[in-house]
Amino acid sequence: MTERTTWTFVGFAAILVVASAAIPALVDARPAREVPAPTVEGNLSGANADGWAEAPAAEVPLSAAPSGLPNAESVNTRSVEVQAARADGDVFVRLQWQDTEASRNASNPNAFLDGAAVQIPVDTSEQPAIAMGSQSNLVNVWYWTADGDTEELLAGGQGSTTAFENETVRTWASYDDGEDTWSVVFNREAEPDGDNRTAITGEDDLDVAFAVWDGANDERSGQKAVSEWYYLPVGPDDGGTPFASILWALAGIAIVAVVVLTAQGIRRARSEGDGRL
Amino acid sequence: MAHENFEIADGVDHQVAMVMDLNKCIGCQTCTVACKTLWTEREGTEYMYWNNVETRPGKGYPRRWEEKGGGWVSDEHTERTPGEIPASEDYGEAWEFDHEGILKEGEDKKLAPEGGKPEWGPNWDEDQGAGEHPNSYYFYLPRICNHCTHPSCVEACPRQAVYKREEDGVVLVDQDRCRGYRYCVEGCPYKKIYYNAVSKNSEKCVFCYPRIEGEGPDEEIHPPACADQCVTQLRLVGYLDDTDGPIYKLVEQYEVALPLHPEYQTTPNVYYIPPFAPPQHSEGGETVDVDRIPRSYLEQLFGERVHDALDTIEQERQKVERGGYSELMEILQDTNPAEQYRLDRTGVFDDD
Repeated sequence: MTERTTWTFVGFAAILVVASAAIPALVDARPAREVPAPTVEGNLSGANADGWAEAPAAEVPLSAAPSGLPNAESVNTRSVEVQAARADGDVFVRLQWQDTEASRNASNPNAFLDGAAVQIPVDTSEQPAIAMGSQSNLVNVWYWTADGDTEELLAGGQGSTTAFENETVRTWASYDDGEDTWSVVFNREAEPDGDNRTAITGEDDLDVAFAVWDGANDERSGQKAVSEWYYLPVGPDDGGTPFASILWALAGIAIVAVVVLTAQGIRRARSEGDGRL
Repeated sequence: MAHENFEIADGVDHQVAMVMDLNKCIGCQTCTVACKTLWTEREGTEYMYWNNVETRPGKGYPRRWEEKGGGWVSDEHTERTPGEIPASEDYGEAWEFDHEGILKEGEDKKLAPEGGKPEWGPNWDEDQGAGEHPNSYYFYLPRICNHCTHPSCVEACPRQAVYKREEDGVVLVDQDRCRGYRYCVEGCPYKKIYYNAVSKNSEKCVFCYPRIEGEGPDEEIHPPACADQCVTQLRLVGYLDDTDGPIYKLVEQYEVALPLHPEYQTTPNVYYIPPFAPPQHSEGGETVDVDRIPRSYLEQLFGERVHDALDTIEQERQKVERGGYSELMEILQDTNPAEQYRLDRTGVFDDD
C-alpha cells in the first residue's frame, strides 16, 4: 500500500469517527422518551398561548391500559403530542390529541367526558409502577375533564386515587373543531407546599406519563389510553441519558478499529503480493 | 357466618331482608313518594326513584331494565354478565311545569311539561298490563335495591366504593370513594343504582339505615320509609337469619317468598309473595279454571319455584277455608307491627 492510500484510509476513518458522533445528534437530537422542557419567556397560560411556539413537541404513543375492566382494550386515542416548559418557578405541560367529537357534557347517565391526565412520581428519584404507582411509591396525577374540572390527585396503586383537598393545578383547554383536536395545558408551581406533592427541584429529571380518555367511547377509570414513562430533562444533566453517549462512543471506536484493521490487512496482503511477483 | 340452610354473605353478621306481598299492592305510589321525599329531592336526583312501583307486565323503570344485562353468569359468582347503563330517556326526564306562570302570572297556556312533549317516563305504561277483555290482567311490582348476598355492583366497582355493611348486609355507595365511573350502574341487573350528574357520584337505596338503626330524633327504630308509609302495609322487614321471624318463615320455611329474577345469580334479599288474580272468564262471563296471570309469566319473573309457592299458598288458604289453622296465612295477614317489622336485634341474636 502506498503512503497516499494509507492516508486515504486514515482520513476515511476520521470521517467515520466524526460522523458516528455527529449523525446521532443530527438525526435524533433527543434521547428516546424525553419531552424537552425549556425555559420559556412567552406566555404559556392558555391552550393556544404564544409561548408554546418556543417548546418543542414530543409525539407520545398511547395504548390501552391493562386494567381488567370491561372493554378496557377499547380505546380510541393512539398518540398525544406533548410539550413541556418552565417559567418563573412554574411547570407547564401541554397535551394535544385527535378526537372527532368533543364530549363536554355527562348529564345523561350513559354519557362520559373526554379527559386527560399527567402522572408524575411523588419521589422524583425513583420511577414508580406505571399503573398509578404503588403503596410504597406514590404518584401525583393532574386530571382534567372536558366539563372544565381539574383535580390534583394522589394515588398508590389502581383504585386508590384520592383528591388533594386544595388543588394547586390549573388547566386551560380548547377544542379545535376544524382540526378535531383537543389542546389542554396543565400548570403547577414547581415546588408547591403540601405533603405528597411532587417537588420539581431540579435535582432529578422528572418521570412523567400521560393518559387520555375518549368520552364518546365510554372511556373512564382504567379504560384509557396511556403512555409508558417519559421524562422531562429538568435534572442537572440536560445533555441526554449517559448510556446513550457511552453507546455512541463505543460504536465510534468500533468503527475506527474495523477500518484500521482492514487497512492494515489490505496493506499486508498487498506487500506480500508484491514480494511474490 | 355459617347457617343451616341459607346463605349470608361472607363478612356479614346478619342480613336484613324485606318481603313484599304483591297481593296487597294497589299501585298508589305512596312508598315511592315517601322514598322520594326522604332521599331524592336533591339536585341531580330528580330522575331517581330508589323505590319505584311498576305495572307488570310492562317495560318497567328504567324502561326495559331486564334487557340491560348485569349480574353473574352462574351461581359460582366468578364471572359477571356484561351490562349497560340506561339512558336518561329510559328513566324518563324529570318534567318541569310552569306553575308560576300559569297560576300566578296568568299565562294563557295549558299546564304541560315544558320543553316538548315527553315520550316516556316512569309509569308511562301504568295499568296497561296484558291480555284481552275479559281476561286482561296486570299487577304492581314495587322495587327497591335488593341488597343482594352476591352483589354484582360491589364486584363491578374498581375502587371498592360499593360495599356490603358488616352489621346487616345493607349495600351502600361510599360517596367519598365513588368517582362516578358507573360500573356499578351497568353491573346491577336490577338497575337500582343511579348516577347523579351533579355530585358526579352514583347513589342507591340505603335501606333507610338511619331509621333501622334508630338514629332519628326520637331515637326509636323505624322500618324503612317505603314500608312504614305503605297504605296496605304489604312489606315485612326483618332479618333473614332471625329464624323466629316471619321473613325466615316465609322465605326459608314455607318457601312462598321468592326473589325477583333469581337467574341473575345475585341472591336478592328482597322477596315477593307472588300475585294471585281471579280466574279467567269465558266470553259469556262464566268463571273458568284458567289462571288469569299466566304461570309462565310469573315464572319469568320469579323462577320455577313460583309454582310450588303458589300451590303452597293455595293449599294453606283452602285449609283456612275449611276452618283449619294456617301459620302461613296468619303471617301473611299479621297486623302486629312488632312482628311485621322485627328490626330490634336486642335479644334476637346472641351477639347483639
